[in-house]
Amino acid sequence: MRPALRHLPRRAVRPTPPAPRPTLTAPLPSKSRPFTSTPPHNHNHTPSSASVNETEISHFSALASSWWDPHGPSRPLHLMNPLRHDFIQRCLSTSPESTPSSFKLRYLDVGCGGGIFAESAARLPSTQSVTAIDPSPTILAVAREHARRDPALVGSKGRLTYVNTTIEELPLPEERSDRYDVVTLFEVLEHVDYPAAFLDRVGEFVRPGGWLVLSTIARTWMSWFTTKLVAEDVLGMVPRGTHDWEKYVNEDELRGYFAKKGGQWGAPRVMGVVYVPGVGWREVTGSERIGNYFFGVQRLS
Amino acid sequence: MDALARSRGAYVCRSCTRSLRRQWLRAHTYSTAATTPDIYDVVCVGGGPAGLSLLTALRANPATTHLRVALVEAQHLSKVRTWKLPPDRFSNRCSSLTPTSVRFLDSIGAWKHLERDRVQPYHEMQVWDGVTGARIEFDWGLGAAPSADAIEGTTIAYMNENLNLTSGLLKRLDELGGVAVFDGAKVEAITYGPETEELDLRQWPLVHLSSGNQLCARLLVGADGANSPVRSFAGINAPGWDYNRHGVVATLEMEGDGWRGDQVKIAYQRFLPTGPVAMLPLPGRFSTLVWSTTPANAAVLKSLSPKDFVAMVNAAFRLSPTDLTYMHTQEAGQTDEYSWRIQHTPHDPRAVPQEVVAVQEGTIASFPLRLRHADTYIAERVALIGDAAHTIHPLAGQGLNQGQGDVQSLAKTIEYAVTHGQDIGVTMSLEPYLAERYAANHVLLGVCDKLHKLYSASSGPLVPLRSVGLSAVNALSPLKSFLMNRAAGNPLKLF
Ligand SMILES: Cc1cc2nc3c(=O)[nH]c(=O)nc-3n(C[C@H](O)[C@H](O)[C@H](O)COP(=O)(O)OP(=O)(O)OC[C@H]3O[C@@H](n4cnc5c(N)ncnc54)[C@H](O)[C@@H]3O)c2cc1C
Ligand SMILES: C[S@@+](CC[C@H](N)C(=O)[O-])C[C@H]1O[C@@H](n2cnc3c(N)ncnc32)[C@H](O)[C@@H]1O
Repeated sequence: MRPALRHLPRRAVRPTPPAPRPTLTAPLPSKSRPFTSTPPHNHNHTPSSASVNETEISHFSALASSWWDPHGPSRPLHLMNPLRHDFIQRCLSTSPESTPSSFKLRYLDVGCGGGIFAESAARLPSTQSVTAIDPSPTILAVAREHARRDPALVGSKGRLTYVNTTIEELPLPEERSDRYDVVTLFEVLEHVDYPAAFLDRVGEFVRPGGWLVLSTIARTWMSWFTTKLVAEDVLGMVPRGTHDWEKYVNEDELRGYFAKKGGQWGAPRVMGVVYVPGVGWREVTGSERIGNYFFGVQRLS
Repeated sequence: MDALARSRGAYVCRSCTRSLRRQWLRAHTYSTAATTPDIYDVVCVGGGPAGLSLLTALRANPATTHLRVALVEAQHLSKVRTWKLPPDRFSNRCSSLTPTSVRFLDSIGAWKHLERDRVQPYHEMQVWDGVTGARIEFDWGLGAAPSADAIEGTTIAYMNENLNLTSGLLKRLDELGGVAVFDGAKVEAITYGPETEELDLRQWPLVHLSSGNQLCARLLVGADGANSPVRSFAGINAPGWDYNRHGVVATLEMEGDGWRGDQVKIAYQRFLPTGPVAMLPLPGRFSTLVWSTTPANAAVLKSLSPKDFVAMVNAAFRLSPTDLTYMHTQEAGQTDEYSWRIQHTPHDPRAVPQEVVAVQEGTIASFPLRLRHADTYIAERVALIGDAAHTIHPLAGQGLNQGQGDVQSLAKTIEYAVTHGQDIGVTMSLEPYLAERYAANHVLLGVCDKLHKLYSASSGPLVPLRSVGLSAVNALSPLKSFLMNRAAGNPLKLF
């Protein structure tokens, strides 16, 4: 677990609530990062892994051993996984001409963690290949070890490939048509230091006509309450320090980001989901402005 | 069986199986070809109604048809496949299928493969208390000459020979193809799979058959009946108790087609202090008997001559419990005893089944009755269905139907997991099955168990209570129609 968080230094008893804001979509408190910020020049990362925050990575590495425990801290991710496929299907079905249903899909899963999504995508008969990357070697070792338990994932077919790398270091296929049909980024954006620069790079890997699909958490009172206070502090459902509320990304910020790319991206599709303890995740229209949500955009050019 | 396995788009691909075999051979040089494991997505142990229907459901659904599936059954299935009886002979092992079960069997394409003229729908039920005479009548108030459609819509359940169901399911499975069948093969042991350089199957069940085959299972389904070896392997307890009762079954020939002819058929059940006795209609003049009673009484019934047995059955629906107790002490002569005693027992002949005139040869048999409910239906790479998960008192005729409910739910759970890329064997994927079925089955088991206890006392504080219970139910027609709708589900057209 992380020893301390930058913006919430005293975590012993209760996290400090965020400064009150008049509306959910109001400008960000001055303390938090502007969404469009780019890495400062004097940062201490190597340029090739600019998006990676070492504290974040060590936090997830510490969770590695329990990643596949269905009753462990990753249970919410396991439960969310089927909805990711539903959402991707929904995105693809909006433009059947660019991805016919007979098409075998090539996926790139960025920040794959223990491989919850990567494994499931590789099992689908409609998948041609899954390339899954994560900067944490510890987590990736868990992912590789776990995939050995399923003959459908390993062996001659080799539909699933894990690579321990950052998106900055992953070679970009020269031919634009050789890039990926679906690039996924599930529960990663809120752990990245410079989301705009990060998305710039991730977006490059989507082939024209392909989709970038992500999920993250909106930065609201409600998400602070549910993920920091309830999930981490009260219920202990996920370990303390899993979330850094200041880094959450609002849906309108994402919309704004993609809209400013000069027609490179289509109109986004959004699905808000709510975690109901004991039941699992449920789609709730409008909840994308409050908490967890899926966001999909098609690359037009 | 290899020829039956499909390679295209298989969840477990054939080449993986082959390469695993090679590695397995390298790692175990003593192995012979016969003992190398074969990898399957689903290995179903037990080819009874539950197991056959699960495999049929998986093979019939386009979303799950690519799964590699295997069936293991201790009996030789050729006997079931070639099962054939003349129209006036019926097997003694019959179950009532609720319209919900029948609708499910129809949806997986199996119902049309049953010999339909051997299936008997029934439309009314007469249930009464042998001690107090309190009675519930489950009838729909059909007029004197109801139309065929009106009758169809009131079907409470369908009486059917278990073998008609299993042979129909097998015909449908043969039509669908693609199942690796290991019949006449007993499960001898279940261990865990091997580890090779490439693969780690140490959490996959490995089923060892008496034939020498070894099957490695992504999901091992226990459809292997009340003494489920799969359940023991998974370390799942199934607490319960013996009722100290046996169910005596027989195929009976009646004096006629029933009080309302061949169109509207009636099921009868009388609660005796020793347990309920039920007469369920089969086609024409035939009926099937399920009489739950003490093991000692069951032994007496089985020792009687056919004539005396028939007299005992007629007595069971008409004479007082005291008369019956006495007749169970007689070594023979029940026929005369019955004709004498019935003259002194006032009764309404049309409120009880028609007289039994004969019992079909070789159909009298008995089974011990017990209630058992597994602590859970799922474990890592294991799911239990049917009697392996729960055995119920037969008084509600629900045992087989509960199993069909399990199958429908598990098949749906597997479909969801497959279409969302989940590993169908892990508990995470199987949880919806457990959540959907456990509570439902538990309630039904509890209700039948309490009914049995309530009606097994001949005196004491419970007797007035139960008489109030039954006549009150009869009076409360809204409640009764609820019960009848539960029995029948929505009207449907299946013939
Ligand atoms: C007297 C009586 C009356 C009943 N009346 C009714 C009724 O009216 N209505 C109703 O719905 N239900 C009734 N039932 C219950 C019904 O018969 C069962 O619920 C039903 O048969 C269960 O089906 P199943 O497929 O789960 O198990 P089973 O039919 O028991 O099938 C299990 C199969 O597994 C096989 N097997 C077991 N061990 C092994 C092994 N080691 N290796 C390989 N194969 C193995 C067996 O050979 C068998 O074929 C009655 C039961 C009894 C005893
Ligand atoms: C909450 S986990 C989500 C894992 C996986 N996507 C899932 O949902 O199952 C976040 C993951 O993002 C990875 N991560 C953190 N920063 C990253 C970055 N800058 N680039 C790529 N991955 C990153 C972490 O190592 C961790 O595995």
